[in-house]
Amino acid sequence: MRAQSPRHSFFSHLQPYLLIAPTLILVLMFNVLPAIKTVTDSLHRPARGLNAAGKAPDYVGLQNFQDLFDESHYMGARFRRAFRNTIVFALATVVIGVPLGLLLALLLNHKQPLRGLWRFAVFYPSLLPLIGAASIWSFIFSDSIGLANAVLKSLGHPGLNWLGDRNLALLSVIIVNIWKQAGYFMIFFLAGLQHIPRDIYESASLDGASDLQQFASLTLPLLRRTLLFVIVISFIFAFQTVEQLQALGEGGPNDSANLLLYLIFQNISERRNWGYVNAMTIVLIGVVLTFTIANFLLFERDEGN
Amino acid sequence: MNHQIRVMILFTLLALFVSGAALAHDDIVIDFYFPSATANDAEGIFQRYADMFQEENPGITINSVFSGSYTDTRNTILTELQGGGAGPDVAVMLSIDLYSFAEEGYIVPAQTFIDAMADGGAYISDFFPALMANGIDEMGTVWSIPFQRSTPILYYNADLLAEAGYDSPPTNNAELVEIAQALTTDERDGLLVPVAGGFPIWMYQSFAIAYGQNIVSDDPTKVYFNTPEAVAAVEFVRSLGTDLGVGPAGGAAWGDTPVAFLAGQAAMIYHTTGNLSRILDGADFEVGVWYLPSGPAGEDGTGYGSPTGGGNLYIFDDGSKSKEELDAIWKWVLFLSSPEIQSDWGATTGYIASNATAWETEPLASRAMEYAQYGVARDQLQHADKEFSSYATITIQGIINKTLESILTGESEDAQAAMDAAQAQIDGILAEYK
Repeated sequence: MRAQSPRHSFFSHLQPYLLIAPTLILVLMFNVLPAIKTVTDSLHRPARGLNAAGKAPDYVGLQNFQDLFDESHYMGARFRRAFRNTIVFALATVVIGVPLGLLLALLLNHKQPLRGLWRFAVFYPSLLPLIGAASIWSFIFSDSIGLANAVLKSLGHPGLNWLGDRNLALLSVIIVNIWKQAGYFMIFFLAGLQHIPRDIYESASLDGASDLQQFASLTLPLLRRTLLFVIVISFIFAFQTVEQLQALGEGGPNDSANLLLYLIFQNISERRNWGYVNAMTIVLIGVVLTFTIANFLLFERDEGN
Repeated sequence: MNHQIRVMILFTLLALFVSGAALAHDDIVIDFYFPSATANDAEGIFQRYADMFQEENPGITINSVFSGSYTDTRNTILTELQGGGAGPDVAVMLSIDLYSFAEEGYIVPAQTFIDAMADGGAYISDFFPALMANGIDEMGTVWSIPFQRSTPILYYNADLLAEAGYDSPPTNNAELVEIAQALTTDERDGLLVPVAGGFPIWMYQSFAIAYGQNIVSDDPTKVYFNTPEAVAAVEFVRSLGTDLGVGPAGGAAWGDTPVAFLAGQAAMIYHTTGNLSRILDGADFEVGVWYLPSGPAGEDGTGYGSPTGGGNLYIFDDGSKSKEELDAIWKWVLFLSSPEIQSDWGATTGYIASNATAWETEPLASRAMEYAQYGVARDQLQHADKEFSSYATITIQGIINKTLESILTGESEDAQAAMDAAQAQIDGILAEYK
């Protein structure tokens, strides 16, 4: 065996690091450093008052987080509301949107006339740019000139103030979100359904299993991994919602339809609130991370079985 | 090396050299950011102004950048500057953005340039005083120059009023309610006040002023949001959609309001003069325009009132700009605020031309002669008052907007209690500036 030259050995050791260096540098610059800065900034408060420009921020410990959960604080009242709305929004998307996507997939999995057209019609909303779709809906929801109220009025109903009524505003945003995503979820379920062999259904039929029994005992268990995946992405999407709100009432009257990420966006421009903005970001990331890890563990256990 | 890649690199280098050569030219380039809140072809108009200016001033190039809504513009500029970027040289931003930018030290007062002018006093005194109010700080220093200014105004469908037997528009709140109720049907709202949709403060201020107490003063550390007048004003606006039933509960949305008016689905609306040209051109009925009706404070003019609104010209400098650059920037500001351009801009858009001479200059002089509505918008300025602006404007405006929304949508039934709570939060913030 020939001994390697030191020079050759040095480069062969260095090579993998050189190869990952570009990615590593980008990740450090755009992920790791901003994340560290977010954490440190959330513990500081920008200098306020006259001649504050240029002064260093003060260290305030966890005061920013305390203010966020203080109902009488101007930011706390908004944060608590947006936080609660975000949870409701995420749950509604998962509880209504995911089963709807599954139902659509089941309906459109069988051969039937115009199946391609139906599939396209259901999938189409997810192809539209989000802000464009939301703008169309803002017209549909418009109080005095909107399509939804025109329909309601033709049925003798006085019409609803979809985006202006504090009790309806969040529901309106949820409707748009589910309309937008159900078709997208359907695609994953359709793909999952294609992987289930036909013959197990045939044998189940021969054994006398009803459609419902087949769904509960065959389809659902075999789609479990797809289902978990779709639930995870729908939850993460829900926490990333920003664009729709820009077109759909900007968070609703008194934040009744505001969501966390949009609230963060709304408060970025004034320096005095940067401590809160960073603290809100930490909370948001914390929630998403907890959920993602929980799901990851579920996946892993699933793999183990 | 792959041939195609080599060619691409060569082209890139070539492009860099060419652009470098262009930059090396002696031209002073002025980056000018402008928003648009109305649906006109602002980009085309500004390009025309830039061409005119460049012809008169060889050696100066105007780089006009459309920057979205007012909020987008403010956020874009703040983000650029806070991140260490260059930002614009001149920008049109809301007249109330003064303290947001002055606090950060990003802008320089126009006063410096005015003082250096031979006829600076005459230049400033030609602007309508109400339009100067938001551009001057509590020390009397002029920071920004009025450019695209507006006020809320009453638009009414004169045909519908005539049908119901009303020959003239309402001049006080009692008449406003009476006519609105007479014109409300299942298909039509009698009166739309656009207080829904995130920014009720501006329209609300009209009512507060009409009730005798503006919520803001010349002192940027004081806000008057829980006075009896301020409370009565919001209760009146809320009652329009509830007890009085002349419009939707919670108020109308900003963008829907002129559309509903043009479609005949609203008999009267409160809206910005910035939409005057669009409404006059789009209506197939006679459009009436009048002062916002006076409130309980009195018919003698003290009960009339509207806030001013719209955008001013701001000059950005962190101290690094040369005298030549600053002179060129000021020339562009003077050009945009000149009677000739103000006249053209006012006639094209409906924004109130901000200096008196512009109204005697073509094309606005003829336009105002043809449509008396333009003159009403100008004359209401004598009753107009300052738009809301204070230290920490964005945060405090946010508190006021949220509080108004909670009252108007019925979430906070007790308006006084909600406004007391908001005032306490506002006072807490402003205490940091005393």
